[in-house]
Amino acid sequence: MSGTWTIFRRELSGLFFGPLAWVLLCAALLLNGALFVWYVGASGGDIDFSVSMIFGMGGAYWALMVVLPPLLTMKMISEESRAGLLEFLLTAPVSDWAVVLGKLLAATAFMALLWAVPLLYGSAVALLGASPDWPVLLGNYLGAVLVSGLFCGIGLVASAGTSTPLLAAFVAFVFNVVLLLLPFLKDLAGAQPENWRGAFFRRIDVGSRLQGSFSMGVIDTSHIVFFLVWTVFCVFLATRLVESRRWR
Amino acid sequence: MINVEHLTRRFGATNAIEDLTFHLESGEVVGFLGPNGAGKTTTMRILTGYLPATSGKVEIAGFDVLRDSLAVRRQIGYLPEAVPLYREHRVREMLEFQARLHGMSRSDYRAKIPVVLERVRIADRIDSLISTLSRGQRQRVGLAVALLPDPKVLILDEPTSGLDPLQRLEMRGLLRELAREHTVLLSSHILPEIEAVCARVIILNRGRIAADGTPEQLVSAQVHASAVRLEAVVGADVEAALRLLRAIRGARSVEDGGKLGIHQRFEIHCDEDLREDVGALAAQRGWALRELSWTRPTLETLFARIALDLDQDGQAAPRAASKPAAVPASSGGLISLESPPPKKTAPLVVEAPKPLPLGTPTPPRAAYNLNPFEGAAARDLSKPKPVAKDPGADAAPEQT
Repeated sequence: MSGTWTIFRRELSGLFFGPLAWVLLCAALLLNGALFVWYVGASGGDIDFSVSMIFGMGGAYWALMVVLPPLLTMKMISEESRAGLLEFLLTAPVSDWAVVLGKLLAATAFMALLWAVPLLYGSAVALLGASPDWPVLLGNYLGAVLVSGLFCGIGLVASAGTSTPLLAAFVAFVFNVVLLLLPFLKDLAGAQPENWRGAFFRRIDVGSRLQGSFSMGVIDTSHIVFFLVWTVFCVFLATRLVESRRWR
Repeated sequence: MINVEHLTRRFGATNAIEDLTFHLESGEVVGFLGPNGAGKTTTMRILTGYLPATSGKVEIAGFDVLRDSLAVRRQIGYLPEAVPLYREHRVREMLEFQARLHGMSRSDYRAKIPVVLERVRIADRIDSLISTLSRGQRQRVGLAVALLPDPKVLILDEPTSGLDPLQRLEMRGLLRELAREHTVLLSSHILPEIEAVCARVIILNRGRIAADGTPEQLVSAQVHASAVRLEAVVGADVEAALRLLRAIRGARSVEDGGKLGIHQRFEIHCDEDLREDVGALAAQRGWALRELSWTRPTLETLFARIALDLDQDGQAAPRAASKPAAVPASSGGLISLESPPPKKTAPLVVEAPKPLPLGTPTPPRAAYNLNPFEGAAARDLSKPKPVAKDPGADAAPEQT
């Protein structure tokens, strides 16, 4: 576990040493800030509506979710492998999964920081006398962190599976988009609650699980488990792919 | 300290290394030599646990690399050829990261980092960004990173690659210092570096051990690499000169290297320095010498021969010849280059001139005049010109 913590610290500091993280952070803050102000104005001062639009109910949220994690994670394994740093890590006394987990936690922590800003918006409007619905706000935040973890996991799998960072980002982006859009095809696929297609779509439907619970301030452990299981699966897959680099 | 047994690693259909077996005792410093693609890096990566072997067994400090991989990694300081450093970090941060990976306590690594940096002579750059360091400085930082956890075994993959000659000299001195405290496996294809630092050399070729022993043992085992080179004016009868040279005791064979201007070149292959014998013969026959030198066997000649798959006589050997030969027990089980017994050669027979009776007029001495302007340019310079003993003999015709 100390290895994971060490890798986590290094990766998180590494993100902030590079310009990309700052650019992404700045762009996301500008976009979210502008959208929040616009939503507040358009809704006649409905803070809860504005918060939920900033989070899981709005298009900008999903756009950031499919774009940012791939960009954050694209270099984490593929670039390190090219620079020989992966060889350094994999010959250090830490396990492969600790390396992958440390990187995932660092990317997720960065996203958690990025999504913490709407909490500041909530605090700001609370100071102005219009207190937001805090359970909804916090539920949205928790959901955003869980979705970020899953998408960062997908990004790490892509980074471990390819040797070019940009290709890794593209693959992860496409996978994220497919994961989000696939459930819209469930009617076309003839999915019913009782058949296997229905079960399949239930197990991959990220959007509904977020909007059906976290966006409403409801913390449902089954949804937490859903996100955690898929994220752990991604860590497992990325670890196996890192190990497979030894055999190539 | 390091036990490698029947190690094989395949990449697809290619055998990167095949059936390697060697052992390193504690405190031993071994140079891993071989041409590019010989399998040095693959072997080192297997030793560090980065690559799994296809078959075979590796133990480091009593731990199996496959089963106790993490325990093995704690015993090893590894410096790959491409020095792995986070360029955005400062030197101190990089070392702290390495210390935390190895589970060192904060007080421990804070005390050790300046010591290690001082040792690799880069303490003045402790707060520099790694991206601002030169290649040689990065190499030193890489070495400091490998040394920080005080490993029992140091595995250094071409640590001087890309350094300028001065940096290389400094690194060589540093490696000699490290060799006193660690078991070191050092790969390189820079032979003087290996000879200067390592007490033992393992030469790999095509994934197999081609030679294993001390540099002296390996050099002395290459009997056929020694030769005396002669360039002299031997007259028109080159065949006679060849016969005389072949007759020298200890001459294995004589190669006629052809004419170079007025001089004839010969290479006399021998087991020992025959310059005195060849020089005596040349003096006795009156050959004007331009070069008389001895080519000693070196690690470099051995390396070149192994890399080029040449046999002891410098001829292209069949592929099977690259396999290590049986290890002679008398050599301490190290040298794999056996030489065939030397051919019996006829003793040097050079007829001494018979003493002339008293009062006999001395025949004119034959000497070579190398001045092309004397006696006209048309004169055959390869033929001796008589030197008159008295002024009256100056008019004597040229001896043919």
